[in-house]
Amino acid sequence: MKRFIILILTITILLTGCWDKREINQLAFVQGLGIERGKDDMIHIIVEILKPGLLTAGGGGAGGTGGGSAAGKPYAVFQASGVDFAKAFSNLNNELPRSLFLQYNEIIFLEEKFATSGIYQTLDFMTRNPEFRRTAYILVVTGGSLEELFDLPSSSELERYPYKEVLGIIANQRNTSSSYVCDLNEFIETLEIPQKAPITGRLEIVKKDGKATGLRMVGSAVFNKDKLVGFLEEQDTKAVMVLMNKLKRSTLTLDKGLKGEKAHISLVVTKAHTDIIPKVQDKDISFDIKVNIEAYMNEQETKYDLTEPQNLEKLQLLINDKIKQAINRALFILQKKYNADVVGFINILHQRKPKEWKKVQQDWDKIYPDVKFNVTVKSIVRRTGLSSKPILPR
Amino acid sequence: MPHKAANPEYIRQNYQYMMLSKDLEENIYIFQVLLKESSDVVFREFNIGDKKVKGFLMYIDGMIDKFVIDRNVLRPMMIEARKLDEVTYTKKQFFDYMKDYFITACDVKEKDKIGDILDGILEGDTAVIIDGIDKSMVISTKGWEGRNISESTTESYVRGPKEAFVETLRINTSMLRRRIKHPDFVIENLKIGKYSKTDVSIAYVKSIADDTVVQEVKKRLKKVQIDGVIDSGYLEEFIEDNPFSPFPQIAHSEKPDKVSAEILEGKVAILVDGSPFVLTVPVIFAQFFQAGEDYYERYFLASALRVLRIIAMLTALLFPSIYIAETTFHQEMIPTQLAISVAAQREGVPFPALLEALFMEVTFEILREAGIRLPMQVGQAVSIVGGLVIGQAAVQAGLVSPAMVIVVALTGIASFAIPAFNIAITFRLLRFIIMIAAGTLGFFGIIMVVMMILAHMASLESFGVPYLSPLTPSRAQELSDVLIRVPWWAKILRPRTIQRKNIVRQEDTRG
Repeated sequence: MKRFIILILTITILLTGCWDKREINQLAFVQGLGIERGKDDMIHIIVEILKPGLLTAGGGGAGGTGGGSAAGKPYAVFQASGVDFAKAFSNLNNELPRSLFLQYNEIIFLEEKFATSGIYQTLDFMTRNPEFRRTAYILVVTGGSLEELFDLPSSSELERYPYKEVLGIIANQRNTSSSYVCDLNEFIETLEIPQKAPITGRLEIVKKDGKATGLRMVGSAVFNKDKLVGFLEEQDTKAVMVLMNKLKRSTLTLDKGLKGEKAHISLVVTKAHTDIIPKVQDKDISFDIKVNIEAYMNEQETKYDLTEPQNLEKLQLLINDKIKQAINRALFILQKKYNADVVGFINILHQRKPKEWKKVQQDWDKIYPDVKFNVTVKSIVRRTGLSSKPILPR
Repeated sequence: MPHKAANPEYIRQNYQYMMLSKDLEENIYIFQVLLKESSDVVFREFNIGDKKVKGFLMYIDGMIDKFVIDRNVLRPMMIEARKLDEVTYTKKQFFDYMKDYFITACDVKEKDKIGDILDGILEGDTAVIIDGIDKSMVISTKGWEGRNISESTTESYVRGPKEAFVETLRINTSMLRRRIKHPDFVIENLKIGKYSKTDVSIAYVKSIADDTVVQEVKKRLKKVQIDGVIDSGYLEEFIEDNPFSPFPQIAHSEKPDKVSAEILEGKVAILVDGSPFVLTVPVIFAQFFQAGEDYYERYFLASALRVLRIIAMLTALLFPSIYIAETTFHQEMIPTQLAISVAAQREGVPFPALLEALFMEVTFEILREAGIRLPMQVGQAVSIVGGLVIGQAAVQAGLVSPAMVIVVALTGIASFAIPAFNIAITFRLLRFIIMIAAGTLGFFGIIMVVMMILAHMASLESFGVPYLSPLTPSRAQELSDVLIRVPWWAKILRPRTIQRKNIVRQEDTRG
């Protein structure tokens, strides 16, 4: 009897496993998932599916044959519509000979119109479905349809398929900080903080004579709740990133010389740290923003010797000015134009002054546009590069 | 003859208890009845000196050293004895006189039981019986052809002693004795096997080895009642703690240096005549990853190699399973590029990954087995064919994917990197179980089986020593010889898991 029970147990344990088994060669690797608002308010999804055979069939051979012809593309594009996201997905599955495999998808492309109409249900699907990685980036695509994006011939020809290019561009943002790309996890986390607004990257399809020719990251897209409300330019994005303490490395260009003359001086910001301290007086809420910047010289059009302490000091003052202006501008746009608390001042208030937060948090969207900010910037230029004195042509 | 001994049937049944008689003819008759069917038994009758006293000598050809009999037994008794003056000894005294003054062989025993004499002869001794005396001299003349001490084929070192045990027990014990020259080093003898009467020796250092372990080894060895012991492998199965475990609980080695080092740690060695493999108990799991050479080479290198061996062990055990689990259940764990390339490779393969892996692994095991059993010349042909089959043809035929070839090849090579062959076969076997679990349950299955194996290992004991010690139960101090090998000057204590009574290995001279 005991043996019999052991046998039954063994069988039940061993025979449960195969149900979710799928061989790796029966998968449709999705790399690139786009969501649009289709006709009749339908959700329209578009996926880029890799063809493993073509991708690994030797770089030279495939490159030679795939130099433009559709058959040589190492990926295929499929589309489907549905009343909601799940329906669209199952419709997509109906077209595919292999089962969709989403875990490798690292970017979710949101078409501009769709983003404007709200992406709540998409996020709901993505958080429920175990196949979506929370590390996937969210991008808002402007300047063209997603079909155009996926159909782009690899513009730079450095990568085999457009998705890879976007991934590369995103990775490069770490050095330039010209756009802030948010991943799914952060997006959802931000949404769950009341009154805080998410921000993510904006990908523009570059067009020439009405034909899509390339891709470019331009600044960021600002959301309010789950709806896209507008865009930030590159400079403003950088300023917002400084405020969010997210700036890792960026180029800063001043447009005047040390004595106010017209010239360009470029610096690389290597460190930016911001402290935001909320202040409440009577009913007025204001924030002290203290920014610390570390940078090194990259290039100058003037001929100052920057090893001279006075010159360096002047330069630092110029940097302070420039950054202060940029931050004020960005804050103004966020406050007055979009009324979106991207930096999360409400969050800081919650942490630092919980009592005040309780009073204002319900009406924050009314109070926020009138909040005062007091920005002070302190910058240090650490290095001047290899040269101390500029080359003087004689 | 009215004597009972006249009946051959009676002799055959009762020779164990029969005594020698004074009548030489009768003695000869008895031995001839017992041994006459064997052509290798030599009976030699001769006269002692010129006294016309008859003598009789018996031995088994091939087991003895003829030179010793010629010069130290026959020559003194037949020729030297002629010089004897006319001395009137009683027959009893004559025997002692012969033994004390003439036989110049060094090991001479008096025996009067037929059974004892017969045992001596069968072991390679020579029995001398003199007319009118009911005692015999059993002279040790053992000397048979044996293999010379040569290099080990199963455990080879770059640095360290090259000699290996041979099939002759006494030579083996001498190799140990040469390394441990202390009166406390004991070599006890036992005879096991009803027909084979194999000499088995237990070797240990009395002042280091745990008494309970020594007693336990003797107790277990004495319980063995078998027809014959041909190799130490027989005994290993009889005396191990858990005979149903796939894990070896007794270590064996062909190297005297390794065995003597283990004896000095407090272990007990079991030597079996006819086997060049010496068993040592108790054993711990970590020991199977220690090569003898670790202790002769610089300790940095030895430590690094140990880590490498652990990695090799895990690879040999788990690599194919992880491949199967990842390609059938957990594709998201593979880096994208690799996954795409694996998918592309598997495009034309008709089997699921599990079958593919089993097919390749079984092929590999067949090749390996064939390569070991075949003579060297043919073995090479096998490896060439195998290399082609595995490496090229199977892939081109679309039976397996190239990635699988890499997996199987790496697994195979990794299993060779484990220094102890017996644990390597265990992993070979367990690998298949884990592969099936991985193919049906994915990582869950792998973890389940690995946990079952770990639980089993934790429950194992070898002569009272927990198998996984010093990892669990953990003894922090002894971990110095598990993953790393600390320098010799830092090894102040002997491993306490093995014995406790004499743990100081060396004086701490570091000040």
